[in-house]
Amino acid sequence: MAERWAWILDDLGQYGQIWRQSRERIESDSGRDYAAERDRVRRTVEAIHPPRMQLRVDQVIRETATTRTLRMSRVDGRLPPFRAGQYVNLFLTVDGVRTSRPYSISSAPGAGWIDLTVREKPDGFVSRHLVAAVAEGDGFESTGPKGVFHHEPLIDGDDLVFLAGGSGVTPFMSMIRETAAQDWPRRITLIYGNRHPRDVIFGDELRRLARGNDRFRLALVMSEPPPSFRGRRGLLDTARIRRDVGDVAGKTFFVCGPSAMYDLCRGALEELDVPEFKVRRELYGPPEDVTKVPGWPEAVTAGQTFTVRVGQAVLQATAGEPLLASLERAGVVVPAVCRSGECSACRMKRVRGEVFVPPNTGVRESDMALGFIHPCVTYPLSDLELRL
Amino acid sequence: MANRYDAVVVGGGLGGLSAAAQLARRGRRVLLLEQHNVPGGYATSFVRGRFEFEVALHELSGIGREDRPGPLLRYLESIGVAQRVEFVRIDDFYRSWFPDFELTVPVGVDACTTTLCEAFPHEADGIRRFLGRVFGMGRELDHVNRVFGRGVPAPGAVATLPWKARKLLRYGSCTFGQVLDRDVQDPLARAVISQAWGYLGLPPSRVAFTYLAAVLHTYVAGQPAYVKGRSQALSSAFVEAIEEMGGEVRMGCGVSSIMVRNGRVDGVVTADGEEIHAPAVVSNVDPITTCRELIGPAHLPTRFWRGLRASNPGPSSFNVYVGAAKTPAELGVVDHETFVNAHPDHERHWERMGTLDAPTELVMSCYNVCLPDVSPPGTSVFTLTTLQYGDLWHDVAPGDYHATKHRIADAMLESVEPVVPGLRAAAETVAVATPVTNMRYVGHQDGAVYGFDQHPWDSHVFRLPARAPLGGLYFAGAWTMPGGGFEPAMTSGRIAAEMVHSASRSSLRKGA
Repeated sequence: MAERWAWILDDLGQYGQIWRQSRERIESDSGRDYAAERDRVRRTVEAIHPPRMQLRVDQVIRETATTRTLRMSRVDGRLPPFRAGQYVNLFLTVDGVRTSRPYSISSAPGAGWIDLTVREKPDGFVSRHLVAAVAEGDGFESTGPKGVFHHEPLIDGDDLVFLAGGSGVTPFMSMIRETAAQDWPRRITLIYGNRHPRDVIFGDELRRLARGNDRFRLALVMSEPPPSFRGRRGLLDTARIRRDVGDVAGKTFFVCGPSAMYDLCRGALEELDVPEFKVRRELYGPPEDVTKVPGWPEAVTAGQTFTVRVGQAVLQATAGEPLLASLERAGVVVPAVCRSGECSACRMKRVRGEVFVPPNTGVRESDMALGFIHPCVTYPLSDLELRL
Repeated sequence: MANRYDAVVVGGGLGGLSAAAQLARRGRRVLLLEQHNVPGGYATSFVRGRFEFEVALHELSGIGREDRPGPLLRYLESIGVAQRVEFVRIDDFYRSWFPDFELTVPVGVDACTTTLCEAFPHEADGIRRFLGRVFGMGRELDHVNRVFGRGVPAPGAVATLPWKARKLLRYGSCTFGQVLDRDVQDPLARAVISQAWGYLGLPPSRVAFTYLAAVLHTYVAGQPAYVKGRSQALSSAFVEAIEEMGGEVRMGCGVSSIMVRNGRVDGVVTADGEEIHAPAVVSNVDPITTCRELIGPAHLPTRFWRGLRASNPGPSSFNVYVGAAKTPAELGVVDHETFVNAHPDHERHWERMGTLDAPTELVMSCYNVCLPDVSPPGTSVFTLTTLQYGDLWHDVAPGDYHATKHRIADAMLESVEPVVPGLRAAAETVAVATPVTNMRYVGHQDGAVYGFDQHPWDSHVFRLPARAPLGGLYFAGAWTMPGGGFEPAMTSGRIAAEMVHSASRSSLRKGA
């Protein structure tokens, strides 16, 4: 009993102690000097995740007839660290349209520059501009490095298979160069498909790295080679992958290339009993033909146009094209980043009207329920009203 | 007059959202500004591959039981938020795992007491005595909330408070460990009872008794819950409710300064340079950053600034998110919430939080246990959280960032391997968030998650009040009264809103 009362007195007496200590701490002014830490949080964040970077083209390297590497340095600070395989989203104005495109970094981390390797696409108005019109000294704005298409040492293991198609080789180039610089801690097989030998990007460097190296196996595959071609012919199909990869157990597969190639690879990997969760796919933009995506309403044709109202702007949007493209053409500034549906930087609210969102677009469950869309992979099916 | 409001709320974390909702409910013209393009602060989610990950919420308190709604649920109903979300209740409080011992602590005062007494029969008397203090104080807390929670308290109720809340009063100066010392000695029993210190950020010897006791009370006498659609659904529901009640919310709109005129706040300037006028500003940005970067210390009394300096920011969090290509059943997971401890000494766990060493304690939620379809069929989704003081990360060189992140995440995955064998091998997607990630999306001092460390001298009546010593400035969020955590953050917003509301009413009465 006496002990109990002693405790009660102790507990109440402690209030005095707390009060005295607090007063001392305040009077002595001895705490941490927060005033000196102005902007410290922002600086810490921006050294790793700069929201924007100002880049300068130091060198334009001709890789193939249709491919250029833009070697760029940062003019407004140091380049942040990045994981081999990540991309930056490049902002630019082409034909008066302010738009952006994500490009994988093809150089290895740790260099004083980043390489963006761009292949001209027949109907790509941005890639055409980058390949044809960019010169040394040109300036660009970009995001910091983004994306999750990189080797994840926590779960991916050290036995990797890269399946690349065309310019889809760029993130792999960064990973391969990094691995080479570290003296091959990982075993890599690269199966790299192109139409014609003249389309192969980084061919000489890849062949040089593979020569006499049992940790890096290179398989160049041509789908439409000239008759004189003596290498592997065909596509990245089951037979090809089985021949070049052998036993698939314990291996992690990375796929980057056009949708058609991805579909082919996915079928092949399934046939080879590669567990789906061991296959990583780079985001590769919106579907090439959305009207072929399961769930697309038959009643709507790709060419149909609808009126879209967003803030003060009123514009026309084509059903078969991502809303983001129509918004950008009309001068609406959307802070898009991945342009593949997943990062949610372009998130906006659909106030009225119907849209098509392909299955597995990375919209949050709650956002879906409340009518939020990611316009980079969303298609109008009626007149719309949106809110930024 | 388009740019004039009754109140502007800076920041759309739960504190800010709650303040805006309560102000809108009171009929105030309120505008909430949030720099990010998604509301919620830490109460959010993100998509990676075919998984959508919960960022921060492990177990929500205050929802109560099916038959006995908790204080948070009643509040959320009053502002039209509860009607827009679905809460699911969780059956057990937590499973406490050690290399050679484990115990699942159930919900319910009797069940909890019995379980602990049976697990530690040699300490049964002490445990019963101690839990009597904990739940007794908890009942007092409910009483205090009832007295103050419904408008102006009756004078009689206030007069009897010192007696009716005598445990609160008495233990208000104590640490949890100090009180526990008197009743329970077995190290393992002590470790299990004080396991939920992770929800507060300080170990038993330092954390305010009232706070950890309140945590035990609210989850055990009430019940833990989770939100369908993850915590993002809750945050987004706030925005919908605010807008429906006539409030305005602008996402992707940062604030560069809070305007001060004639010794009072006069509104804010947005990052785009737009001036927005209001006689009251509720800052959901941490008070240090608010004063240093939005107002300037010169506008605040020296003593207040020194007071902030005398408190220290609590820990930040380090999270590993795992999407696994196996079901919880295949992985043998039956608990929503598991604390994984390398040893039972929480004091040493806390000391580790001040270093970049591998964590020795973490808490893991498997959301499929309460929401089976929270991830695609055949998969399961986990959030692994450990605490760490975020200021350490200011000194990590950018070139070392990924390696440091990997080392800590790797150790965390390794430490859950004996608890969930095969988790790593089944992992399809992992994502890692460091204190720098917290700083990036929320911007708080050192990426702190619970505001100021919750010592007895920085808790309850000693914690930073919502009203700042500058006319019209209020704080909401974990840094202020009542403190860190989802429910307290929402409560703080409500308190701030009520202060703004009554201040503007009294100034109207004075004809000001």
